[in-house]
Amino acid sequence: MAEENNDVITKLVVTSSDSVLPIDAAMKVYESSTDIVIKETCFGTMVTGPREAVNKVVKEIVDLDKNHIFVKERGFPPGDDRRCRASRGGGSRPGFYFLKEEAMMLPMIGKALDKYDEHVPLKEIEHKKKLGVKDLQDIVESSL
Amino acid sequence: MNEDAVVKVALVSCGSEYAGVHGELTSVAESVNAKLVYPEIEIDILDDIGKDFGIEAASPDLCLMMARAKAVVEGLSDVDGVFITSCFRCAEAAIVRNEIRRYINKHSDLPVISYSFTERTTAATLLTRMEALTTIARRRHLLAREKQSGLTAGIDSGSTTTKAVIMRDNEIIGSGWVPTIKVIDSATEAFNQALEEAGVKQEDIQAIGTTGYGRFLIGKHFGAKLIQEEITVNSKGAVYLADTQKGHATVIDIGGMDNKAISVDDGIPGMFTMGGICAGASGRFLDMTAKRLGVDITELGALAVKGMEQNVDMNSYCIVFGIQSLVNSLAKGSTPEDVAAAACHSVVEQIFEQQLQEVDVKEPLILVGGSSLIEGVPKALGELLKINVLVPPNSHLIGAVGSALLASGYVEE
Amino acid sequence: MAKVIIYPTNSLILSDLVQRFGHTPLAMMEKIKEKVTTVGVDSPPMNITAEEPKHGLKYAAVEVPAGVRGRMAIVGPMIEEAEAGIIVGESPMAFGCMGCARTNELTKYLIRSREMPLLELEFPKDDDEGQEFVYRIAEFLKSLDEVKGESEEATE
Repeated sequence: MAEENNDVITKLVVTSSDSVLPIDAAMKVYESSTDIVIKETCFGTMVTGPREAVNKVVKEIVDLDKNHIFVKERGFPPGDDRRCRASRGGGSRPGFYFLKEEAMMLPMIGKALDKYDEHVPLKEIEHKKKLGVKDLQDIVESSL
Repeated sequence: MNEDAVVKVALVSCGSEYAGVHGELTSVAESVNAKLVYPEIEIDILDDIGKDFGIEAASPDLCLMMARAKAVVEGLSDVDGVFITSCFRCAEAAIVRNEIRRYINKHSDLPVISYSFTERTTAATLLTRMEALTTIARRRHLLAREKQSGLTAGIDSGSTTTKAVIMRDNEIIGSGWVPTIKVIDSATEAFNQALEEAGVKQEDIQAIGTTGYGRFLIGKHFGAKLIQEEITVNSKGAVYLADTQKGHATVIDIGGMDNKAISVDDGIPGMFTMGGICAGASGRFLDMTAKRLGVDITELGALAVKGMEQNVDMNSYCIVFGIQSLVNSLAKGSTPEDVAAAACHSVVEQIFEQQLQEVDVKEPLILVGGSSLIEGVPKALGELLKINVLVPPNSHLIGAVGSALLASGYVEE
Repeated sequence: MAKVIIYPTNSLILSDLVQRFGHTPLAMMEKIKEKVTTVGVDSPPMNITAEEPKHGLKYAAVEVPAGVRGRMAIVGPMIEEAEAGIIVGESPMAFGCMGCARTNELTKYLIRSREMPLLELEFPKDDDEGQEFVYRIAEFLKSLDEVKGESEEATE
């Protein structure tokens, strides 16, 4: 039992693609192995199964649009009683909010990955510095 | 609410899952037929919760606690009570936990417990607290009872002494008070004393209520109709004896082994805390002081009121080292009066520092439990808090009176 | 291939980028998986028992809250295992394993105290910052290959 468990992993696949929809990712899984279970959620598709089979199918999904599909491993298997809001009395999973925030950044990350692949030179960004005391004094004096 | 219904307790917590105590929280809830629920929140409110609630906590899980507290108050989450808990020794969490407790108490009539855990916290430690929380939710109608009726008995099987009273038509007609040695034997003795004084027979008693550490054992032995933890029973008993059943009150019960501080509204506990880690804050400390002074415990209070605690240097609240300080003071020439006063002050000060921060002290302040009879104790407490301390008649019988009063709810049923 | 500890320890973006550029992310998710699939321990939700805060004493004293020590029992060994690190600041709120500010301070400190390649930057707020974010992480991860390659050569 323990060995079997160790071999089973869950990966979360989050798509932020114009060309690939979560359903396409799901279809890819259905086409592949029978050992794999998937669950679609608000922010991505959870793929659970033996490690090698999961890695293989996740790679196939990512290859559909590699710079716009993101992957991370997940600790709990999908629908685990210990984390499921239905059985643990409501409240979203602790990881949900941060995942949502990160998901909102993915289009930005995807664009940057495209540029990196195309060797677009990095723009110089001027990072704002704190206003100097002298400058602040000038502003105060000018508004008197 | 139905007596058999599952009580929904909102868990507003930080750190419990990582401290290894989460399983204990779940199991104590199950043992009193309660279920812990995690209040649903609107996820967007998290962005501004620091400013909305008012505490810009650095720890996100504390922000989540504030959001969940808001959800409870605004009724987004349908619950019967709230358990607020965070890691012991975390200053940031202590600030948030206290303010959330006040916030929920102010904006709802839900009972609230606040507790800080260590990895050593077990379900057994939490049982009385959780039992009280569910009782307040489940037996509100019973706790609303203001008068005793019929012929009932209450037995309080405490860690140090066992108390029993017989009540008839809202009057105490007999009482018994014995040291707890063997739980059932001591309860029988106290009960018999009370029956004899009342001039009634056990079979005439219409309902028995039990409370205190031994409540389950003696409850079963005597066929009690009501077996109830001491937080709800004692707060009921206190406001009944002090005749302050309406409005706010604060009840402090200094017991032989632990203390309770309970904030009461209309006779029903709203917030409460229980201490039981340190014997230095219990009646046992006073008992040991009396022994070292060579006086009976009943004489300690009279000595204390004549003494000045400032004349004695005490550098520890500890029952071992603190008593040692008192002995040293005697050797240096302090008077027994000063030492007795210092002992009373020490117990009261520790209760103030460790427990009264967890409830809002509102007048009247009712002091109960055996230690309230030691006159130096209410005096020291009054001086420390700068308010009048009310010690009602029969204050040591509080648990027994509360039990007899509440048990009479089963006479008419 | 280097083992790279990421901070925030549960970040999708960082875990993905480390993997994408050919390294192994050391992230919380895998450790939680180890915990929750441990057979014979029944301490829901995460199978963290009173033992973890005790193991956490390796990283923080007994006066440090149990929740910090329990988290450190999981994150501490990850830091020890790491060969490089990426710390990203200005993070959106993250709960659970990242929910305690004190734990997070200690985690970052311990990562910084390791003598290993470390990249520190902030979460991007717009496309230009996003580009810089990805480029810097990509270059850092590529440089790890070189460093590793060199050290492997040196030992040969």
